[in-house]
Amino acid sequence: MMTTLSPTSRAATRGWSDITIRNLFVIPTVAFLIIFNVFPLLYSLGFSFTDFRASSKDAANFVGLQNYADILADPVIWRSFATTLWYVIVSVSGQFVVGFGLALLLNRPIPGKGLLTTLLLLPMMLSPVVVGLFWKLIYDPSWGILNYALGLGKTAWLTDANLALYAVAITDIWMWSPFVMLLSLAGLSAVPKHLYEAASIDRASKLYTFFRVTLPLVAPILLIAVIFRTMEAFKTFDIAFVMTGQPQAELISSRLYKMAFAQWQTGPASALAYIVLIMVLCITNIYVKYLNKAKER
Amino acid sequence: MAVVSTRSGRLGNRIAIAVVIVVTLIFLSPIYWITTTAFKPLVQATSVPPSVLFEPQITPFVKLFTKRAQLTAPVAPEVYEAAPWWERLVLDGGERLARDGKGEVVFSAYPDRFINSLIVAITSTILAVSMGTITAYGFSRFRVKGEADLLFFILSTRMLPPIVVAIPMFLMYRAVGLNDTHVGLIILYTAFNVSFAVWLMKGFMDEIPKEYEEAALVDGYTRMQAFFKIVLPEAATGIAATAVFCFITAWNEYAFALILTNRRAQTAPPFIPSQVGTGLQDWTVIAAGTVLFLIPVAIFTFLLRNHLLRGMSFGAIRK
Amino acid sequence: MRTATKGMLAGLGLMLASSTSVLAQELTILWAEWDPANYLQELVNDYQAETGVTVTVETVPWPDFQTKAFTEFNAQGSAYDLVVGDSQWLGAGSTGGHYVDLTEFVKTHNLTTKMAPATMQFYSEYPGGSGTYWSVPLEGDAVGWAYRKDWFEDPTEMANFKAKYGYDLGVPKDLKQLVDIAEFFHRPAENRYGAAVYTQVPGDAITMGAETFIFSYGGSLGDYANYKVTGLLNSKESAEGLEDYKKLYTYGPPGWGNAFFAEVNTAIAQGQVAMGMNFFAFFPSLLNEATNPQAANMGFFANPPGPRGDDFAALGGQGISLVSYSQNKDEAMKFLEWLVKDETQKKWAELGGYTAAAAILESDEFQNATPYNKAFFETMFKVRDFWALPEYAELLDEGQQGFYDYVVNGNGTAQEALDKLAATWVESLKAAGYPAE
Repeated sequence: MMTTLSPTSRAATRGWSDITIRNLFVIPTVAFLIIFNVFPLLYSLGFSFTDFRASSKDAANFVGLQNYADILADPVIWRSFATTLWYVIVSVSGQFVVGFGLALLLNRPIPGKGLLTTLLLLPMMLSPVVVGLFWKLIYDPSWGILNYALGLGKTAWLTDANLALYAVAITDIWMWSPFVMLLSLAGLSAVPKHLYEAASIDRASKLYTFFRVTLPLVAPILLIAVIFRTMEAFKTFDIAFVMTGQPQAELISSRLYKMAFAQWQTGPASALAYIVLIMVLCITNIYVKYLNKAKER
Repeated sequence: MAVVSTRSGRLGNRIAIAVVIVVTLIFLSPIYWITTTAFKPLVQATSVPPSVLFEPQITPFVKLFTKRAQLTAPVAPEVYEAAPWWERLVLDGGERLARDGKGEVVFSAYPDRFINSLIVAITSTILAVSMGTITAYGFSRFRVKGEADLLFFILSTRMLPPIVVAIPMFLMYRAVGLNDTHVGLIILYTAFNVSFAVWLMKGFMDEIPKEYEEAALVDGYTRMQAFFKIVLPEAATGIAATAVFCFITAWNEYAFALILTNRRAQTAPPFIPSQVGTGLQDWTVIAAGTVLFLIPVAIFTFLLRNHLLRGMSFGAIRK
Repeated sequence: MRTATKGMLAGLGLMLASSTSVLAQELTILWAEWDPANYLQELVNDYQAETGVTVTVETVPWPDFQTKAFTEFNAQGSAYDLVVGDSQWLGAGSTGGHYVDLTEFVKTHNLTTKMAPATMQFYSEYPGGSGTYWSVPLEGDAVGWAYRKDWFEDPTEMANFKAKYGYDLGVPKDLKQLVDIAEFFHRPAENRYGAAVYTQVPGDAITMGAETFIFSYGGSLGDYANYKVTGLLNSKESAEGLEDYKKLYTYGPPGWGNAFFAEVNTAIAQGQVAMGMNFFAFFPSLLNEATNPQAANMGFFANPPGPRGDDFAALGGQGISLVSYSQNKDEAMKFLEWLVKDETQKKWAELGGYTAAAAILESDEFQNATPYNKAFFETMFKVRDFWALPEYAELLDEGQQGFYDYVVNGNGTAQEALDKLAATWVESLKAAGYPAE
């Protein structure tokens, strides 16, 4: 990974030194992020060990790990976690399949490709709240267009305990597949043509070429797309909160929102947030390991 | 995949294009539905069964820019006669325009919010992309102690559910006087986007052969000159892609805009979805607000489309 | 700091023309985004003309109203001088120190007699019965019913109904009759349904609907004064009420598990339902030909009593409170003084606001002004509210989930659902430090 220019490069003697430039380029951003995040992070961490309520005048009492213990013993929260995990799997794999599939199809000379791509990107340009609202309208069993257009009768997409989560995932896939598509497309079009030519001379089958040539080369960028989508899917809030209140489909962010804002249980909500953070950290860490491996290949 | 010139390949190409077009149409259908809703009479936005055919009208856009209230009694004919055409549209829709003490029509917050959105999204995108670019360059070209850990830290700033930091963020902003200011939102969105920008740009920077700069250095460029004159143009594609993503995020952010700002600096997303009048969700006005709000970001993306398609391999393909 | 910020922005050349002047006296009121907020903005035109004080009504979307208001309060923010807050906020607003005690003001202006008693009790007094007041009732509201007069008065329907149920079809005299009527009109094959009720979970919708039935069947949500829940919330009366509420849900349009005021009104406007439960504040749009093709066929009635004559309705509505952190408290008090004047309240009612002033409510002029005003007047004397403790939101969330699980998801019996909820509430109340049982 490291591409270090030789320290004896003559540039070092003119203008700013490489060290100065490095510091100038890297330190401000890192410092900015640290300063900006340190207070909120410490605030939340601190209150996660207390029974603090931001809405109350009462002082915070230190309760040790009680909040964490309570949360890990709460079946409602476990249900939310399980729901969220399943949601992330469905939604991200859906986005991956649709997005990467579209990219494979688009990776050829097509007249008006620029316009086509821009049009495909439109869903992710909308505000999530608006997307949630309009999909709620679209899904409505009485006055929604979906059931009417597809002849699905009175399917209650957002209220059926078994369907609601998938209905939200479909919306999320619609909204974010274009993101995966765009990144995949960028990766695919960068695969050098001579590699395909070599493969076709070898009379390699298309499948073989795909799995042995294309996939390894675009794997890192696919992983970056998947990392960001996984992180975001885990935190999905606006869309789901607007679309359905079905408790069986409650995502962890909705629970967190209710605890933090509707109920002002600042202490327990902070603890839950840290649990979520740790889970996302672990999952992302696994991805990043794979990413580094993929890059080394 | 690759361009193949056999007959079956050409057929395959055609099928692929046909599939792409069908999928694109499916993807666009919800947006088509939103757009047509922006031109419907309110009753037809939720008609049973849904109205596919209707007489388009621009009333929703007039409503979007004004404050209104439900009509409780029929309008006097002379009032109706005296009203300009756009006010008549609103009256026809069963609402009257709200007026201030001087009898002037009160405009909605939409135009102000829209401008706030432009200010905040454009500025924060410029900042996030600039910071992301130079930082990515720094990580890509120089030895940085604990590079992997620092990069993971940068990524991790996006992992905490944002809802939870809203309260401390609010307190922090209040303490330094950044609440309800453009600057406050700009800083916040820059912080959101910079981690994404660093990660994306790092991929692009790794791609640009370091030989280019070395040649320039040999030719007598300083490192800074080489960065600006050689590296940046090479990285244009990556910068464009990153800018599109950052702009979209900043443009649509809802929760913090709602909590951290009030009427002076608030952006459009918290304004658009709240149109309940006296108990009927006015889908047509929400749609009108959404469609207008989509235009800048769609244009921005369209202008950068060629950069987006040029290909970026994120360090995947080694020379 | 604001000046510094402004300077920076101007320097960037991005500064917008700002209309705010530091010198002029200004008041800011926070409310949710809906028509009554626009009425209020129009109402204050007169105040501005009289005093030169600029009053701005700032609005946020309904679902975010509580979040926005309490984030500001909890940080002791002075962005808002007055807030038109939900009745359930009283506990948190008063004990949290966010609201200014208005007891003196209430006494000076005789508000306890001037305003309808229920509105003072639920929008202003906290704790219940303490004689301490925190707001001026502004927008009275409660749950009522809209119905299709043309369906109810159709001779064939009337004959068929009488044959089936043995009594005349008409405005229901009690909730049992209401359930019968809903069953009678429920004809999914004709795309016609019995009743549209509240079922949504985010917010308080399903609880507002369910508690109306629980109260009216002689049950309760618990004794608010003694924190006694067991045996009250899960009494057999409560269970019977909840059972009938579920019946109404099943007589609703398909997928009716995500409905609040907008959905109910839409179902009515699209001619889908015979009856719809809604807050009175949301009835005006039903009388508007342009937004409701059925406007000419609409009738309204107050929530009927339960089978044993208990007569209640869930309370909505808001009182206007003075925010403790306001830097314009004196000016805000003057505004409240103006607001409680008879002529201001009268104008408020004319603009479309639901005044709580008893004299106006009782006048024939008010009661005949719209087809629903009389029902509103009757309802305002039989309202009951949810818990108003500072921790109400936890109880509400648990209630929402519990009611939904039984009514919409169809899990268990009403008795089981209430037993479970009672246990949960006792636990939550105890955790919050109340001697609950």
